[in-house]
Amino acid sequence: MITMVIGVMHGPTRIPLATVLDRLFSPNASINSVIIWEIRLPAVLAAVLVGGGLAVAGAVMQALLKNPLADPYIVGASAGASFGAILAEDLLPSMGLMAPAAFVGGLCAVMISYLLSRGRGITSMLTLILAGYAVGVILTSVTTFLMLLNRADLSTIFAWEVGGINGVTWSEVLISLIFIVISLAIIWPFASDMNALLLGEEQAHHLGVPVRRVQLILLVAASLLTAAAVYLSGLIGFVGLVIPHIVRRLNGPNHRQLLPLAFLFGAAFLTLANVVANSIPVIGPIPVGLVTAFLGGPYFLYLLVRQNQRRGGLTP
Amino acid sequence: MTSPLMLELQAVTYRWSTTSKAFGPITSSAPPGQFIGLIGPNGAGKSTLLKLIAAFWARESGTIRVQGRDISDFKASERARRVAFVPQSLDTQFDLTVREVVELGRLSQLSWRERLQFKGTGKTARLEEILITTGLDHLEHRPYNTLSGGEAKRALLAAALVQEAPLLLLDEPTAHLDPGHAMKFLELVRNMVDHKQTTVVMAYHDLATVGLYVDMLWVMDQGQLVLTGTPEEVLTNPLIRSIYDTDLIEVRHPRTQRPMLLFP
Repeated sequence: MITMVIGVMHGPTRIPLATVLDRLFSPNASINSVIIWEIRLPAVLAAVLVGGGLAVAGAVMQALLKNPLADPYIVGASAGASFGAILAEDLLPSMGLMAPAAFVGGLCAVMISYLLSRGRGITSMLTLILAGYAVGVILTSVTTFLMLLNRADLSTIFAWEVGGINGVTWSEVLISLIFIVISLAIIWPFASDMNALLLGEEQAHHLGVPVRRVQLILLVAASLLTAAAVYLSGLIGFVGLVIPHIVRRLNGPNHRQLLPLAFLFGAAFLTLANVVANSIPVIGPIPVGLVTAFLGGPYFLYLLVRQNQRRGGLTP
Repeated sequence: MTSPLMLELQAVTYRWSTTSKAFGPITSSAPPGQFIGLIGPNGAGKSTLLKLIAAFWARESGTIRVQGRDISDFKASERARRVAFVPQSLDTQFDLTVREVVELGRLSQLSWRERLQFKGTGKTARLEEILITTGLDHLEHRPYNTLSGGEAKRALLAAALVQEAPLLLLDEPTAHLDPGHAMKFLELVRNMVDHKQTTVVMAYHDLATVGLYVDMLWVMDQGQLVLTGTPEEVLTNPLIRSIYDTDLIEVRHPRTQRPMLLFP
């Protein structure tokens, strides 16, 4: 809540706290009121939804794949979304279909990876990662090819790939909100099943988890969550990877607490990152995806190094 | 219709791939409250049989019934309330605490309301009691993956006990345990069989101690169930020597007079 208020205050034009609170509760026709209600508030809500959604999606993917280095995009969602976005830009330019196409593209890519990795018995999550990687590489190469063909759109696509949340409208926020609420409602009852999945698919089976069905449900819900976030903001990196880790370090991996906390932390983090992105002196606002990557990248490296050290000898 | 039998296997076969060697057909059964030791050399099919009973692997043909009902007719949560499984070992990259691992035993018993709560699965008297009997009460907040081998085994057993399943499958539960911890573990299981009428099927390797704890022995060799009977009958049967291809020495436990087989 506090970061949300800060988020509303900051932007290319600063609006004092008192005015923010005043206009929030009694909107009028003043310029500040318009800025707050039509520009800042949708952007802040978008940051909350995208940050929270990506963090939960990341936590779910990490549990599903039993891999702490998984992120919401790992099984092809990002590549599919980029492909959808560029396809929409190339085929139907100026229709504003980039975001919906990205939404559909992301979902489709994940489903293709899943279907490819489905084998006899229980779907191997390692195969899913590899299939997702392969699908991702293929889609990315096609996307790059399309980008080279059509240079006029390069900057639009590029800005989208980096990820930013300024300029969103209320209707976009509302659409995304609906999908995010639906996915969260699907995911939540399975919090304990996700704890069981951390012990491996076989043990989860013995504990009474219908492993295959739960994996599919969670994969679909997490992809929906990711797609809804991508729809609003483009590809914002590292929130989905880093936030679940920070929450696990603070409060352990129990999903009954991890999921809600990840949403809160993710929401707060992205709202603040957006404030930072909007407050860069001289250059002016930059895409928030750059800020999260700049903060998240070094932390990701630190995690990798730490995990290598663990494997290297401290634990057998 | 309830069957007096806990576990019934009828002509169960399994095939890993079309080229793999035959497994089964295996036919056997167990009443409630029986402790069964499943012995046989490496690769005999002990773990396979346990995974088939637990419906983790799908049999090729035959029937597997638990309490009179086919194992594949159960929903996952119904099955987990009847069959619990303690694996040989379990690795996790995530720092779940001992309590969180043990609490997962209640997963199949959770109501929809409990599933929606933010708090854990809640304290139940039964869970606290199991933490104490398995000697884990002082370790409950430790991360599971920092436990010693014996402690980790007890945590997995505790989770299985919380499941309150009448059929318990153990896959070489005392591997990597020192003799003292192994003995305590087996006594814990024996106690459960005697007091809760649990049926236990335990894959096991040590022919010297197995006869001291179990009621029945099932002997497997090359995917077949070749011999069943009480420890007295099985361990004195000459067939056991040819299965292990060793001239095993038969001795008697000095106190209980139960048979023990030692490797020469």
